[in-house]
Amino acid sequence: MLNRRSFTLLGASAALAACGQNNAKDGTGADADYVNVYTARHYDADRQLYAAFEEATGVRVRALTGSAEQLLERIRAEGDATEADLFISADAGNLWRVKDAGLFQNVTTPALEQGVPAHLRDPDGAFWGFTKRARVIVYRKDAVQPAQLASYDDLANPRFRNQIVMRSSTNTYQLSTLASRIERLGAENARQWAAGVRANFVRDPQGSDTDQIKAVAAGEAQATLVNHYYLVRLMKSEDPAEREAANRVSLVFPDQAGAGTHINISGGGVIANAKRRDRAVQFLEFLVSDAAQNVIAPLNTEFPIRPTITPAPELAALGAFKEENIPLDALGRHQAEAARIFEEVGWR
Amino acid sequence: MALDYGSPASRRPTPAQAGETPAVPVDGVAIAATLATLICAAPAVAVIALALAPDRAGAAFGSNLLGDGAVGTFALVMLGGVGAVLFGAAAAWLVSLAQFPGRGLFEWLLVLPLAAPSYVLAYAYTGMTWANGSALEVRGLWGAAFIYAAGLYPYVYLAARAAFVSQSACALEAARTLGAKPRDVVWRVALPLARPGIAAGGALACMEIAADYGAAQHFGLTTLSTAVFRAWYAHGAPHVALQISAVLLLAALVFLVVERWARGRASYAGGSTRWRMLPRYELGPLGGGLAAVFCAALVLFGAALPLLWLGRLAVLHPHFVEVAEPFANSLLLSAGGAMGTLSLACAIAVAARRATGIGKASLYAAAMGYAAPGAVIAMGALALFGLAREAGWIGGLSSSLALAALLWGYAARFSAAGVGPIDAGLTRLSKGLDASARTLGAGPWRRFAEVDVPIAAPALAAAALILFVEILKELPATLILRPFDFDTLAVRAHAYASDERLLEAATPSLLIFLAGLLPIILLTRGLARSRAGQR
Repeated sequence: MLNRRSFTLLGASAALAACGQNNAKDGTGADADYVNVYTARHYDADRQLYAAFEEATGVRVRALTGSAEQLLERIRAEGDATEADLFISADAGNLWRVKDAGLFQNVTTPALEQGVPAHLRDPDGAFWGFTKRARVIVYRKDAVQPAQLASYDDLANPRFRNQIVMRSSTNTYQLSTLASRIERLGAENARQWAAGVRANFVRDPQGSDTDQIKAVAAGEAQATLVNHYYLVRLMKSEDPAEREAANRVSLVFPDQAGAGTHINISGGGVIANAKRRDRAVQFLEFLVSDAAQNVIAPLNTEFPIRPTITPAPELAALGAFKEENIPLDALGRHQAEAARIFEEVGWR
Repeated sequence: MALDYGSPASRRPTPAQAGETPAVPVDGVAIAATLATLICAAPAVAVIALALAPDRAGAAFGSNLLGDGAVGTFALVMLGGVGAVLFGAAAAWLVSLAQFPGRGLFEWLLVLPLAAPSYVLAYAYTGMTWANGSALEVRGLWGAAFIYAAGLYPYVYLAARAAFVSQSACALEAARTLGAKPRDVVWRVALPLARPGIAAGGALACMEIAADYGAAQHFGLTTLSTAVFRAWYAHGAPHVALQISAVLLLAALVFLVVERWARGRASYAGGSTRWRMLPRYELGPLGGGLAAVFCAALVLFGAALPLLWLGRLAVLHPHFVEVAEPFANSLLLSAGGAMGTLSLACAIAVAARRATGIGKASLYAAAMGYAAPGAVIAMGALALFGLAREAGWIGGLSSSLALAALLWGYAARFSAAGVGPIDAGLTRLSKGLDASARTLGAGPWRRFAEVDVPIAAPALAAAALILFVEILKELPATLILRPFDFDTLAVRAHAYASDERLLEAATPSLLIFLAGLLPIILLTRGLARSRAGQR
């Protein structure tokens, strides 16, 4: 009995070791050319980007996906032994945390500077955006006129008492939205706004951005705040019920008469202890190149990083809009304060 | 001696009895157990040590989160845990000791919810109730409690069933002969005899609820686990997250010790050496019908409905080819991880039976990792890895090292799921057997292999099944500790779900369900046949 068990164990560990070795062989063989990416983005489009990069350069992209916060802890624990060359994540707030922990190195090259507009990258060059997303108001068409929700301020208007649903403030998108307000209008204004929106909640924050849109479509509330691509995706969903829901709502790019709509990026930076720094920079440059932007634009429902690239047709249909223009690292610098304000006004 | 439960002698050991179980003998089994304990407990202990680090004061928001989280966790454990215990114990009793239509089928169907991660159930019920309008929406505290009770009762069911199946017919018949009514036999003999199993299963379900992040977060509840991630993700304060985790771990430790202490005063050794068919109660048409409806409802809400919903989504967006490799990775990792963790858990459980006092307590400490979110345990493992690297013992997390770290993470997180059932199985081992084997000259390894393991075989099978499925479902530790380009089904499902692509997440989620199905069927069949004399 014991012997049989030991054999099974031995077999299993051998199999596992073998599979570990296979992976190692792929990557660390003498002639293998590769770059290691820790990424908090999980889109299928990204895998196509990796393939396009390998095709163009012969350099393989090895990816480790995970949540931004956990990948950060892994890079921290690995220290100078880290295998990571590049860190990629949605949301400047996530990227700023890696910068703040001293785990990025500043990189500036002509290709990056030309490829990425100034308000979509870190001022020091610690991280660079390669796609853009907008935080938009989604409302139910039969309940609200778009003019009533022309500004983020309107979400705090008492006329919408018990008519607003919101995602939890644990989410970085919410933190970044409030952080941008702190940057432009100060903490007190941000607190009053958050408290006003909180007072309009019809239910405690729960679920994802998509769930908020569905709640609005189902008549539970009149409006919510989400990233634009979640609505675009519902519009072209394979599930008829989701397309039906998307039909009942519409979106507003807020603050067009004011500071412009809050935007954020997906971006990446080179790890301070990167063993393949040149490859990492090469991949970063590739991400903002026309070639990569044209791969990602039709696949993903994010905006391209430059206005010169044609976005997906569904996005082009939404029209041009005025963007908020603040230093991107502000989203990180005010993050802790934003979290504190959310906590204080009871927006969980 | 058929049953010494509650007899005065067992409450106050005489010197002679105490002499039967000397303090941990220094033998191979004891050394293996000590090693196993160290391996399993280290990450959780590291979390507590990091939380206590003096240079990291807790922030003001930390105590608010802690207070609210404790209330939320307590409420969920009470509602969901009690529900899981009631459902699981009742179902186990019905299929083990009663006869009703469909009993043979329900015997294994009842285990199916085990294959569904709580967060998948949460998504499924939100999706289903949204599609049907909001009349019966599953949400909030009650929604989460419902999902935990419906999804986690199999932990109690499996452990209780193992206990019922190995019950002595003599004890039950003696009770009948002595004039006990059938109902009394259930309440005063069968249930008390199965108490260790029910308690072990219930403890697992409660710890699982405390550790759950996905479902609680989805329903917008504040629990200790969601507070951990609030501190970590929203406030960017991992050290506060560690402090809240430490509270969770210590609470689990107290819970485990109290549960053990309460049980430890009674002895459950029972059973004769002659095994016969257990007498089944024939339920009448009404009782049988109700029993079948009850079991069918458990299967329906815990597995069938969510499974159908996932199936519908997977048909809308099928992509089985893309997940073939993650599927293979998942099976390999779950099998390897389950065997590794089971071996460690086995050593710990056997040694705990033989140990006394502090030795015993420290062994149970190995199990506390089960009550913390996997991400926290992984953080503890990463911190220890960082220390070892700084000391120059190891390099970076290469593929094979990452794989080893991952298996370690599984052991640290799930050893309780092995220790609990095995310990409950061994509880029924009469001390006389061990002593006889010793008198006959059997060494510690031989007693382990030829006495302990066969006696605990049904429990071992249950533990192996639970571990396999746990690892199949496991997400956070897998995410953070795995090698490059090594995805599992849970990783793939999470990638889509976190990107709010539930259609795409359906196929890998469905495969997690299906992959758990085969071992469930095999092992429940084995469990039914494991009763000695019934082959």
